Amino acid sequence: MKLTRAGDSHEIDVELISRDGTTIQVRVGDREIAAKYTPNADGGGILTIDGRRYPIFGARRKDSILVSVGPASFEFKPAEAALRRRARGLAATTITAPMPGKVLKVLVRDGDLVEAGQALVVIEAMKMETTLAAESAAMVKHVRVEEGQTVDHGAVLIELSPPPAS
Amino acid sequence: MTIAPVAIDCASFVESMARLKKLLVANRGEIALRIIRSARLFGLKTVAVYSAADAKSAHVGAADEAIAIGAAEASKSYLNIAAIIAAAEQSGADAIHPGYGFLSERPEFAQAAADGQIVFVGPRPDVMAALGDKVAARRIAIAAGVPVVPGIETAEISSARDFAAQVGYPILIKAAAGGGGRGMRVVAEASQLENALEAAAREAAAAFGDGRIFIEKYLAHPRHIEIQILGDEHGNLVALGERDCSIQRRHQKIIEESPAPGLSSAMRAKMIDAALKLARAAHYTNAGTAEFLVEGDNFYFLEVNARLQVEHPVTEMRFGCDLVCEQLRIASGGEVSEPAAPRGVAIECRINAEDPEHDFRPATGSVLHLSVPGGPGVRFDSHMTRGSEVTPWYDGLLGKLICYGANREEARVRLVNALGELSLLGVTNNAAYLRDIIASEQFRDAKLSTHFIDEFFSGWKIGKHEIDAAILAAVIAASEDAAPQAISNRRSPWDGLNNFELWGSRR
Repeated sequence: MKLTRAGDSHEIDVELISRDGTTIQVRVGDREIAAKYTPNADGGGILTIDGRRYPIFGARRKDSILVSVGPASFEFKPAEAALRRRARGLAATTITAPMPGKVLKVLVRDGDLVEAGQALVVIEAMKMETTLAAESAAMVKHVRVEEGQTVDHGAVLIELSPPPAS
Repeated sequence: MTIAPVAIDCASFVESMARLKKLLVANRGEIALRIIRSARLFGLKTVAVYSAADAKSAHVGAADEAIAIGAAEASKSYLNIAAIIAAAEQSGADAIHPGYGFLSERPEFAQAAADGQIVFVGPRPDVMAALGDKVAARRIAIAAGVPVVPGIETAEISSARDFAAQVGYPILIKAAAGGGGRGMRVVAEASQLENALEAAAREAAAAFGDGRIFIEKYLAHPRHIEIQILGDEHGNLVALGERDCSIQRRHQKIIEESPAPGLSSAMRAKMIDAALKLARAAHYTNAGTAEFLVEGDNFYFLEVNARLQVEHPVTEMRFGCDLVCEQLRIASGGEVSEPAAPRGVAIECRINAEDPEHDFRPATGSVLHLSVPGGPGVRFDSHMTRGSEVTPWYDGLLGKLICYGANREEARVRLVNALGELSLLGVTNNAAYLRDIIASEQFRDAKLSTHFIDEFFSGWKIGKHEIDAAILAAVIAASEDAAPQAISNRRSPWDGLNNFELWGSRR
């Protein structure tokens, strides 16, 4: 199967080669990784790779697999979900406010062509500045807010349309 | 034979003046929980208030009673003075603790409490108003003989130009009503000055409803060191040492420690003296913090935070005290006494719901699993439990992990280990980022300045080994899902994977 990390378009090709008791063998790209996995009573388990022991937990949310490795948290998306989005040509058709706040900066104008990862809007909430970026290449169809404006959670800030075919 | 439990009557053994009986906690999250614990020790009944987004939040269940005060938006709940005062009156609370953030430094809130014959656990409203205004606070400091960053109160271009020529660029423009990093702007060269002055005044007017600005020399490589003070209504003022909060990201503190590494005892004594002079000049009561920037052998007054600080636990661990109990004692008319000598070292880090690999974008979600670190000298102040919802409405502080050690290295290693024991599944957070910072040689060697993050940790990524482990964990999660019968006797986070067609050809 193919996984991507949330916020990252790089696809990771993985395959469970074998799982025999606690021993597992996984191919990650062109590397083979041998590991030992022992479940714990708490629902997680201990993963041992090259003598390093990691406490891990995992769960699913919507189309994501959430995993923790010690204090580190990860979100993976199976490639199918990413593929479905790519079929539409856009990661998202609107940029919405992830929280109520104030629009500090609008960095694009109607008609601008933007690349994946390009910053579009900066909003501020609870003393935090958050930069919202395009998840894929797109054309800015309509900027719906202006600097200084207060927005609610979920408010549409920018509408995007697919970039013109090149 | 039956064994009857002994009733614990806190009120009779704690020095509660019996003036206070019930405390309303006008806050949420970890700090509300923390205040409720101390209030209970102090012998007070507690009242929680909560927004529509927080009905299931931990502080609501922890209090003796809880009152809904409004919609999820902070402006309709935790910033809604009328609703909170009404909740105090409805519950018969005779005191309000504001916590930090929200209304904690709003004089009109303290005044509204006073008008309702409710004790406000904090300084008087007029004192708060004077210190909340950066220009007024600066004047108080200058009058008290406390050093301030060289600066000038003006928005006028020619005097600003003269000042900048005198101290040299870059200079810093600040809003009088700003604070905590808000309303600040660095001007690198003379050609930018005029535009920057206008923009700063305009922004200040828009953000704070107050367009007054002032200009300061920009310190290139300062440390942020602050002094904890306590003052009572009888004129007693004490200081409880310092905290070094130099490690900040976009002016938000993320790691704090006490004592400040390498701070000479002479310098510490001078800073404590300055903080006490300032507090005396301002007629300060209750807990407060005087913040300073330190560069070389010089220190400069920055601002007073007229409330309990987020990072207060590092002081508590060194002094063996409970600052919230001290606040309650002061509020009920008691006296503060000279603190015991501090011991050892304490370091705190703030665990935030944010993604450190993607520009620290705020994260939300529900906690699917939580492993909490433990052991001697480890304290985890958090309102998180399995099932907790982290919503987009409020700041993303998930908890604070604080470790004590006989010396800095012991505290540091203990904190690295404790972060290694922490697992919080379901809400992306900065715990691994904090662990890597605290484990670094730069932090070990205390190369502290407010630019620490920019200098050493600007492009942080999680280590390759951990990514491999995470990929394998994801594969295991998928395969456990493929064989649910193997784990069917368990209720666990993996159960969420049942019927998840990871391998299948989902449409």
